[in-house]
Amino acid sequence: MGTCAGVTNLTKEFSSAGTTTASHGMQQLATDPRNRRFELLAMPHLDAAFGLARWLTGNTADAEDVVQDAYLRAFRYLDTFRGDNFRVWLLTIVRNSFLDWLKDTRSGQRLFQPAPADLDWTDPNPSPEAMLLDRVDSETLGILMAQLPAEYREILILREIEDLSYKDIATVTGIPAGTVMSRLSRARLALRKAWINNEKRP
Amino acid sequence: MNHDRTKRLLPAYADRQTGPVRRFFLGRHIARCPSCLAELEVIQAMRSALRTNLPVHRAPPALAMRIASALPREAPPPASRRSFRFGFTGAAMAGSLAGVALTLAVTRATPPDAMVADVVADHVRSMMADHLTDIPTSDQHTVKPWLSARLDLSPVVKDFVAEGYPLVGGRLDYVDGHRAAAIVYRRDKHVINLFAFLSGDATDAAPRQESRDGFNVVRWRAGGLTYVAVSDVEASQLLAFVRLVENG
Repeated sequence: MGTCAGVTNLTKEFSSAGTTTASHGMQQLATDPRNRRFELLAMPHLDAAFGLARWLTGNTADAEDVVQDAYLRAFRYLDTFRGDNFRVWLLTIVRNSFLDWLKDTRSGQRLFQPAPADLDWTDPNPSPEAMLLDRVDSETLGILMAQLPAEYREILILREIEDLSYKDIATVTGIPAGTVMSRLSRARLALRKAWINNEKRP
Repeated sequence: MNHDRTKRLLPAYADRQTGPVRRFFLGRHIARCPSCLAELEVIQAMRSALRTNLPVHRAPPALAMRIASALPREAPPPASRRSFRFGFTGAAMAGSLAGVALTLAVTRATPPDAMVADVVADHVRSMMADHLTDIPTSDQHTVKPWLSARLDLSPVVKDFVAEGYPLVGGRLDYVDGHRAAAIVYRRDKHVINLFAFLSGDATDAAPRQESRDGFNVVRWRAGGLTYVAVSDVEASQLLAFVRLVENG
């Protein structure tokens, strides 16, 4: 067809992120440049934003609220985005929206407690059980993950699902770059211990 | 690189977050140290477990829509669009005959590009949204009453499978301020969206073809309805389709 490059690119941007946009209710693709720029930048990361929010809040309805709030904020502060990685910028906002959501909801407050200090963080000897970890089924892994403290959940999601570098994780979470690795280690260890305990149960 | 230091940096090694020189020295130690190697394998098993087995939470389809409708629309609509809207739907609101006449004149002078932009956007969205049809059926006797029951209009709905344009289904849509029927057809692997909505103008108008953003658009008026066909099929094929609908 020759002339369809613009629309094709747009379609690709949206569909590559798995974003689904039903036609009802949306009256038009954005026509003014700012809305259009925002949709092009932000909509492809909707699954990433929702995934993080879903793991943090633990349920779909709250995750949707958090993501919507984050997107509206991102839209408002769009002009302050100077970096080269919009996803990192957006995930930072999602996390901030989540923290505000926590403050506003009582049920949320117990979700983001700091990791318990009484656990022994010295690494157990690598056990044969731990080596089987990659055979854990999806449902069990989801449950174990959901039981971790939120600060561990988020760092594992950012690292393994979003594939962010330590530097980008530091940006999103606001923790010093030097502590990303140690927190990530503790998160992995906590998940591993939870898994081992789960296996030991009859 | 000594053992304690290597052990401490194993996560960064597993995550490939060290520079190449450090990576080389870490790798050299790990190769000779069964304890570091075993621990590295545990980290890698953990990583692969999360990457392959963690349940994936995708954004629900309605979320994009919800966000888009919550976003402020900052720019006022362009004048041509506004006049088109008034000319088409709100003639009664114009208040005086002079006002109506002026609006209609403006409408004629500026082609309703906004509507064309809208149907192209709807067409694109219908395909990328996995939401092509609300009622997926090739049975015209199902699609037509389904649409009529939900919209106050009764567009032509016919399966042209023999002519190479099979009916895929129907959908409710929204075109430039109008609730519209979207009747979906296929031509080979291409999708044709046929939109129908109530015309402000009761007179019939012959099909007019144009292209926009790589899509062909044909619109005409018949029986008090405005029809707009959109697709990326060749213009000649889309016009052949339009003739079928016209005679349907």
